[in-house]
Amino acid sequence: MTNINSIESQSGSSAMDRVKQVFRMDAIGILIALIVLCAAITIVAPHFLSGYNLTVLTRQASFVGLIALGQTLVLLIGGIDLSVGANSALSAVVGALLLTMYGVNPYLVIPLTMAFGMFLGLINGAIIANMRLSPFIVTLATWEIFAGLNLVITEGYPVRPLGAEFNWFGQASILGLPIPVLTFLLVAVILTWALGYTRFGRNIYSIGGNRTAAILVGIRVARVELFVYGISGMLAALAGILYASRMDSAQPSVGEAWLMPAITAAIIGGTSLSGGQGTIVGTVLGTLLMAALSNGMSLLNVSGFWERVVVGGVVLIAVLIDFIRRRR
Amino acid sequence: MSDIPALEVHGVSKKFGNAHALRDVSLTLRKGEVHSVIGENGAGKSTLMGIICGRLQPDTGTLQRDGKQVRFASPREAQSSGIAIAPQELNVLPMLSVAENIMIGAQPRGTFGISWSETRKLAEQFLHEIDEDIDTSTPMGELSAAHQQLVQIARATASHADVLIFDEPTAMLTDREAEKLFLFIARFKQRGGSVLYVSHRLNEILELSDSISVLRDGELVAQIDPAEATKEKMVNLMAGREVKSLHISGLRKQNNDQRETVLSVQNLTRKGEFEDISFDLRKGEILAISGLIGSGRTELGKCLFGLQPPDSGKVLINGREVVHSSPSDAIQNGLIYLPEERKKEGLFPLLSVAENICIASLDRFKGLFGLRQGAMVKRSAPYFSSMKLKAADPSIPISTLSGGNQQKAIIARWLMKECDILILDEPTRGIDVNAKFEIQALLTELTDKGLSIVFISSELQEVLDVSDRILVMHEGKMKGLVETNSVTQERLLQIAMT
Repeated sequence: MTNINSIESQSGSSAMDRVKQVFRMDAIGILIALIVLCAAITIVAPHFLSGYNLTVLTRQASFVGLIALGQTLVLLIGGIDLSVGANSALSAVVGALLLTMYGVNPYLVIPLTMAFGMFLGLINGAIIANMRLSPFIVTLATWEIFAGLNLVITEGYPVRPLGAEFNWFGQASILGLPIPVLTFLLVAVILTWALGYTRFGRNIYSIGGNRTAAILVGIRVARVELFVYGISGMLAALAGILYASRMDSAQPSVGEAWLMPAITAAIIGGTSLSGGQGTIVGTVLGTLLMAALSNGMSLLNVSGFWERVVVGGVVLIAVLIDFIRRRR
Repeated sequence: MSDIPALEVHGVSKKFGNAHALRDVSLTLRKGEVHSVIGENGAGKSTLMGIICGRLQPDTGTLQRDGKQVRFASPREAQSSGIAIAPQELNVLPMLSVAENIMIGAQPRGTFGISWSETRKLAEQFLHEIDEDIDTSTPMGELSAAHQQLVQIARATASHADVLIFDEPTAMLTDREAEKLFLFIARFKQRGGSVLYVSHRLNEILELSDSISVLRDGELVAQIDPAEATKEKMVNLMAGREVKSLHISGLRKQNNDQRETVLSVQNLTRKGEFEDISFDLRKGEILAISGLIGSGRTELGKCLFGLQPPDSGKVLINGREVVHSSPSDAIQNGLIYLPEERKKEGLFPLLSVAENICIASLDRFKGLFGLRQGAMVKRSAPYFSSMKLKAADPSIPISTLSGGNQQKAIIARWLMKECDILILDEPTRGIDVNAKFEIQALLTELTDKGLSIVFISSELQEVLDVSDRILVMHEGKMKGLVETNSVTQERLLQIAMT
């Protein structure tokens, strides 16, 4: 089921068993799909694999990816966070204002922005966990509130310029990897570890798998839920502020287009909408698949209008494959 | 052993709305004893256990743990004071491994977070005290209900509790697994642990208990010494009146041989679940299917109902071959299956009792302006009296009823639909003795009116009590088909095992 089961049952298995185990992992289907897709695009457009294009592709993927990682945690507990896109934009604007209006040190702006985003997420979490309200409705409401506040603060104008020192975070690379990409991978590694090897992570799977059981064994369900929404908010803010740094401008409308791709990436990666099932590796691969698809289509000069049709089709195919696999 | 009791309950009362679930109940659990609590459904047993394990809070009254007054705001607090419960309903995490289900919330940590090898080792230690055959690396969802129940019990012990609460632990277990549990309880007792034991099975109560408390309508009506208790005495105390007969086997009529066959199953096979099953069900007959959990009996029932297709074999209803590719096909042919897990597969908890009864016959309640709610309440009313279904009002949510009454409502659902063949899968599991007799008597009555019943049960006594003939299944194979009045419990086991 989850990657943990395969970790657990490694002892004393032959090489053949291991190969079989690899093919039983949830993420293997999406990995194969990603490789096939990349190979196909490369045949038609060889410059797909150029260093420059891959940098563009992965950097573009990393912003949505950060949000998708947070969303994965939320989906795992059986919730959903619709406010992440608005949170990204609002947090980025607040962070940019700290920098430009209050002259806060650029290195401090990022953690402060993340703290602000986490605060917004904790508001969601507090309402959902303590009052047992539907996460869909609560985050739909806070989505509007965050987006509205954003317009109240900015009146719709971007906050810019942010200055070269700050823009380093979004524009520079270390060892050839853009900083947003490194951040995305680092967060993915931390979350993979947290989900597999901490009680907090295992409690997330328990709550999504069977909430009643989780309460009965003494898990502090409300607290776990609160923090999961907090983390989701924090990662949304991180994505927003990195994007602002990349663009040298915090734009009030920026995160709105990130919500659906983020949920889609998590679902393609095998995360169940009803909770309890899903992996970070799956979400990372799902994010890359979506990015490769979008990038490939623009390389092939496919109209942007068609892109949405294709993305929708991919989601349907992913869900169908999952259905067939589970029936077997 | 010191003289301070492990747990004392003093004058506890609890109201739900206007109904008194518990009224001034006091109870003492000494160290190293098994204290059983018996009572009919709705007598307040589960409420009392809920209060002790921290799931519910009492309105008045106190709890004392080792002589000190305590208050549990949550199950977590009760657990940290050493009280753990193995609940009646299966509450497991189906996607996680058995090991993790046992150790959840208490996984041992290593240098890099949770140590999975250690987790598995510890889980094995706890599980193997109860059952040695279950592999801890299997995903929980792949285990049978009985094994899941054993794992759930292991989870309760893993919290290092010295007070364990068992709420109907054997309801889903077969005799062999129950035996393992009893051995565990004996060992636990020897280590000085105390057990609160709730069960409807009076035999095991007599076998296990050091003292017995009887609850009726939320009040503690008696404390009896198991040495002096008899089954009849316990039943009378629980019911508050004389109960006429513990056995209704005398009610069964003989000589069904001449009646026509309504359902004929021929060489039915579904690979990995059951193979080569053949039997004829006659009109007005109760045919029991007896077998351990995992014998393929539930799968057979589901297959006949069209939930899963057979790989080979034939099914004939009234001499005509039928293929049920979905339950609606089966219902149209007058064949109904009542699932084993009533909460998960049969109940609409938020709908009213009346709606739950009428939901399979909604086309009868179509009116000009949608469904006629009033008619549903009116049409379901006769079933309340004929089935002794106790509900304050047909329009309250069904989830407020006790388990026995919920089960009656579901049976009423299919009676209203007017079927010819009823397949009942463990219809009396988790139901108190009186409700059980009522349901059994009701089924007998229905067969007099021409209904034919396939009765699936793992309780041998019950099978012997209600059926005309018994089909014995074991590991997917049909081991024999016998006349009920020619066999005993021992003989049935013999048939299954050889």
